[in-house]
Amino acid sequence: MDRLFADQPARFEKPHSVSELEAAAPALAEELHGTTGEVRRTKLRDLRERERAALEDLSLAWLHFARDPANAATAKWTLFLSDVYVVSAEKVRNAALIYDHFDIIARHSLGPAPRLTKAISRSPAMVMYLDLNQSRRTAPNENFARELLELFVLGEGNYSEADIKQAARAFTGYRAQPRRGEFMFQRRQHDAGPKTIFGVTGPFGGDDVIDLAYRQPAARTFLPHEMMKFYLCDSPLPTEYLVGLGASWQAAAFDLRWLVRRFFTSRLFFATAFRGNFIKSPVQFYLGLLGDLGLEVAPLHRMSLNPLRQMGQWLFYPPNVRGWVGGPHWMNSATLTARRQLVEMLFSPIHEQTLNADEQRALNDARAHATKPFVVDDAQFMDLVGPAPRIVAEQLTTRFLAGDGSGHVVSDLASFLSHATGAPKFAVRRIARAAAALLQSPQYQVT
Amino acid sequence: MQNSSPSLPTTRREFLARSAKGIGLLAFSQFAPRFLVQSTLAETPKPEKDRTILVLVQLAGGNDGLNTFIPFQDPNYHRLRPTLAIPAPDVLRLDDFHGLHPAMTAMRGLVSDGKLAIVQNVGYPNPNRSHFRSTEIWETASSSDEVAATGWIGRFLDNACAGQPATHDPVAVHISNGEPQSFASATPHPTFGLLPGRSNFHEREETRMLLERFSAATGNPSADASTSFLQQTYMDTLITETKVQRVLGAYRAAQTYPGTPFAASLRNVAALIAAGLPTRVYFVSLSGFDTHANQLSQQARLLGQLSDGLATFQKDLERHKLDDQVVTMTFSEFGRRPSENQSQGTDHGTAAPLFVMGSRVRAGIHGTAPALDVARNQDLKFSTDFRQVYATMLDRWLRCPPTAVLGTQFPNLPLLA
Repeated sequence: MDRLFADQPARFEKPHSVSELEAAAPALAEELHGTTGEVRRTKLRDLRERERAALEDLSLAWLHFARDPANAATAKWTLFLSDVYVVSAEKVRNAALIYDHFDIIARHSLGPAPRLTKAISRSPAMVMYLDLNQSRRTAPNENFARELLELFVLGEGNYSEADIKQAARAFTGYRAQPRRGEFMFQRRQHDAGPKTIFGVTGPFGGDDVIDLAYRQPAARTFLPHEMMKFYLCDSPLPTEYLVGLGASWQAAAFDLRWLVRRFFTSRLFFATAFRGNFIKSPVQFYLGLLGDLGLEVAPLHRMSLNPLRQMGQWLFYPPNVRGWVGGPHWMNSATLTARRQLVEMLFSPIHEQTLNADEQRALNDARAHATKPFVVDDAQFMDLVGPAPRIVAEQLTTRFLAGDGSGHVVSDLASFLSHATGAPKFAVRRIARAAAALLQSPQYQVT
Repeated sequence: MQNSSPSLPTTRREFLARSAKGIGLLAFSQFAPRFLVQSTLAETPKPEKDRTILVLVQLAGGNDGLNTFIPFQDPNYHRLRPTLAIPAPDVLRLDDFHGLHPAMTAMRGLVSDGKLAIVQNVGYPNPNRSHFRSTEIWETASSSDEVAATGWIGRFLDNACAGQPATHDPVAVHISNGEPQSFASATPHPTFGLLPGRSNFHEREETRMLLERFSAATGNPSADASTSFLQQTYMDTLITETKVQRVLGAYRAAQTYPGTPFAASLRNVAALIAAGLPTRVYFVSLSGFDTHANQLSQQARLLGQLSDGLATFQKDLERHKLDDQVVTMTFSEFGRRPSENQSQGTDHGTAAPLFVMGSRVRAGIHGTAPALDVARNQDLKFSTDFRQVYATMLDRWLRCPPTAVLGTQFPNLPLLA
């Protein structure tokens, strides 16, 4: 357990292009200042393109980070928290701020939850995404206050509209400097007057509101409930378990490390009722494939970012403030086809002559550092040539389905493999094809 | 059984209802394919007369327009291309000033036959020279400073397919390594993807059959909601795939296609059109056009594939009397720089010609030629917006209000008779 979640949460490195753009941002803003018309439009467009490219680099860097088994548990935990504290690059359009947002989450991901929430309220990406920047003393914007109570801490039905209005006043003065990426508190935009929130009155600021929210009973079960939906299943969960867990979590001062430890060592987490019926997210499917096949993230969009998008999960671009809905929503004819095509792509050689020049360069650069291949070589199944089909089928299902495959899957595979005869070259090909089919199976889509 | 059922089962429920004589779920993998094949062969539905079909051919990588549709009389062309210019005698002349690349004899023939239109100098304002971004602009039909979440075909489907009874037959099919961004839509539609080429055909068939067994194997009565949902999605997809593969396997092309993966993809499109699927849009991709170095041989090879593939496809459709239903158009994310670089290649540029093919097309040269009096490393200025071509296809061919898809009004082009 503690090996999975180290004392200091692992953080992923900021890609060069992101830091470069960040460093250049003040100068670029300066350059932009005072320009008008076509010149300004061109400069703005160039800037957007650089942001966009930086975000792609950021996505690849995150995938690399998450692909490392040493980081996998942390990465998934951070991804979960980012699916609660949602920001979208669609609106924020600044790779450095998106990076910072994930970094803020990572740094606070194993500390007290209220501290995480307070840090998030100061994340420049969040300040921009939920319009705190537009919130003024005389005209408080309710967007952040609403999502804080509805989507971050309590859940719908556990606050009143009046609470939101009052809470919005408490967050006035929160500002982000977009180009410098810094949080600032603008005192003269802050409404320091008394507010009544959850029946308590005082001259509350933003942090006070967060503390008040965590004092509401709903805060005990909200995050654990979200956690179960993310990690375990879509269907209604055992409420008595949640209530007990929530009470203990509160007693542990809402410590996230405590929650993680309790949750991931619970009998519930390993209960068979929660095995094999939860559809993997595209990120999980993709990273799982790479892990199971011993592959590295290919530096080509067409083999990494594009398939993720086609499968319905565009990294850093969640569809709305609720994040990805997940579950059955991941699956339709188009996304299923995308999953299958991804598997086939990973089982085919890269056709280098069809690559664009920049892709060829990226591939050559990546090859210089790569310790693992980007696509499957049939030879990696050589160790399975020889034994009886039934044995090979069992080994494949153990390898890829963690032994969860039903008897049918093993016998179907075995009968397919009974043709795996002849020269090792042909036998191994047949085994590779069996593996490819298994990874496209409905059984592999669930966890 | 086939005789009593006039059409193919299109949903899992329908399929199960027809095979309810105790065959059950598990038998699906054993009986369904043959049953479906026989139905497919016996009951190929008549193509609807008013259903028009658009085939999109992507030339991925950025095709060099100047060496495709060649202004061979323009001294500037030869000035800009000291080593890459195609010598005037080699050019396949269309008029006194323009001609096609020597590898495009088949497409030259299509112009003579009145089946091929060339739209010159197509692009968009504030061109972007990134492959990724410019492809996205073309596929989403956005302006260059706007990022759109949906593709132009997706928005067409949102408009054209709204309120139609749900079937699982695909309304759009792509033969490429992933669903094109063009297909991204606000509401889900049944789409279908085939991997290009036929080289692994047998293996893919086997994979599909194995997947049918796996999908059936999950079917136990106590399966929870998400498992049976997954199973249903698989079955629906596999039924479509079975149908598609049988159609492809049974198709008798009236014309021998060249042995390239691109031509094989077009053959498959012809097969699906001939089978009368309700598909309105097909998307096929040919890649490798990013010719930064040694362009001559590379582009000649690709244009030859394009030309031979398209011409065979057109003839095949004609022999099957399907040509009145189909229009094919090419696009590429950008053209290339007018001045060649130091490696006998060209770098990313802007506007380029595109092709529109079909029996209902007004053949010949459309639009205006780019001015080539540009300095070294300067780019062409487009004269026809690509969204005019889309607007024409939507309005005059697919019969969908273009503004519903493109947001704003773009003047039509006289591309269709």
